[in-house]
Amino acid sequence: MKKNTITIRITVNGEKKELDIPAGITALEVIRDRLELKGTKEGCGIGECGACTIIVDGRAVNACLMFATQLDGREILTVEGLDRNGELHPMQEAFAEKHAVQCGFCTPGLMMSARALLLEHPHANRSEIIKAISGNLCRCTGYQSIIEAIEVAAGKRVAPKKE
Amino acid sequence: MLDVDYIRPPDLDGALEFLNTNGAETKILAGGTDIMVDMRSGALKTRFLLDVSRLGDLRKIEMKDGQLSIGAAVTITELLESDTIAETAPALQKAADKFASRQIRNVATIGGNVAHCSPCGDTIPPLLIHDAEAVVVTAKGQRNVTIEEIAGGPYHCALHPNEIISHFVLKLKPQEVTFADFQKIGRRQELAIARMSMAAMAAKEDDNSISFLRFALGSCTPTPHRFYEIENFLIGEVPTENVLWQAGKILAEKMLEITGRRPSAVYKEPAIQGLFMRMMSPLIC
Repeated sequence: MKKNTITIRITVNGEKKELDIPAGITALEVIRDRLELKGTKEGCGIGECGACTIIVDGRAVNACLMFATQLDGREILTVEGLDRNGELHPMQEAFAEKHAVQCGFCTPGLMMSARALLLEHPHANRSEIIKAISGNLCRCTGYQSIIEAIEVAAGKRVAPKKE
Repeated sequence: MLDVDYIRPPDLDGALEFLNTNGAETKILAGGTDIMVDMRSGALKTRFLLDVSRLGDLRKIEMKDGQLSIGAAVTITELLESDTIAETAPALQKAADKFASRQIRNVATIGGNVAHCSPCGDTIPPLLIHDAEAVVVTAKGQRNVTIEEIAGGPYHCALHPNEIISHFVLKLKPQEVTFADFQKIGRRQELAIARMSMAAMAAKEDDNSISFLRFALGSCTPTPHRFYEIENFLIGEVPTENVLWQAGKILAEKMLEITGRRPSAVYKEPAIQGLFMRMMSPLIC
């Protein structure tokens, strides 16, 4: 094993961090194992399922396909960074309202893909939503409730009233 | 954890100097979306990763001396969002739109896609129809290499270990071109590895005959190629349905000449004709 340790400075969910990491470690390993942020999941490990989607400098990326060193100097948002002081983010509210979660494994990745889309296009339409989450697989819901939830978050659809 | 060292040089000179000494043990890292998969599967082993993704010299899209210059570390998303690309290389923009997923488009680069030398690299057929050349630099100088020369074979990059692609130079879409497209067939809509891909651009005369055509095929042959037979067959012709079917048939025959008649030919022969028709049918008057 080589001893190439790299120091990276990153901002994770608004908090500045300085980490000494081995060069051959993935962004996903740093997030899950070093930062203990377990919301981001590893699914396929080859960039096909999107379960590991995080937002780096405003854009959705697969954390499993990035070396952690590539994150140096970047601003990172994971699913843990969505809520504010225990108050759900509108995207999370919408997912709950529309029952867009079944087993939940794909949910963090889907929310981050959706969040990245709405950061770029706050009022994205249905076809833009479908394209933006096409890199995320869900084997439970059949996607319709997920798409509807993101439409709610984008202000394109009214959420059903709470009982 | 992967057993590798990571170097991020401050500038292109630093990168070239590093390669000059360590080139044989180094893989150039841009987006890393292919390198990571290959290293995790064990297919790729290397001592050093040289990250060129932040080198300013490799990050520009600009018009230079009447040609389009695209930095090797420009991401697929940046291709997609560029007005310059939309105007001067529309088939490349269409390929960028169909490339992998949004997550991958955000980090993967055009230089990485070309240098990985996959037969199904989506940016390659559009680069071929623009007669693109890669400007390849070393510590000692630079040379231009055609896109077809870069791939010595499937997944075999013919560039030397001390070389870096700095940018690509493309001939602009001629003014008279009114049609440009990229099409592919894959197993799913997004993230599809192309089983078959093609790019074309064309112009027509007032009498509807084709006056200009560039056509390139990807995925079906060991390395992507321009198909001059199709261009020569269609130039001067009025593109009726019948004429395009004939061209599609020639294309299928030429593909089989290169690959040999493998079991997949039963599918590929009609599929390639069908995809060709789908792409070219807007030309029918």
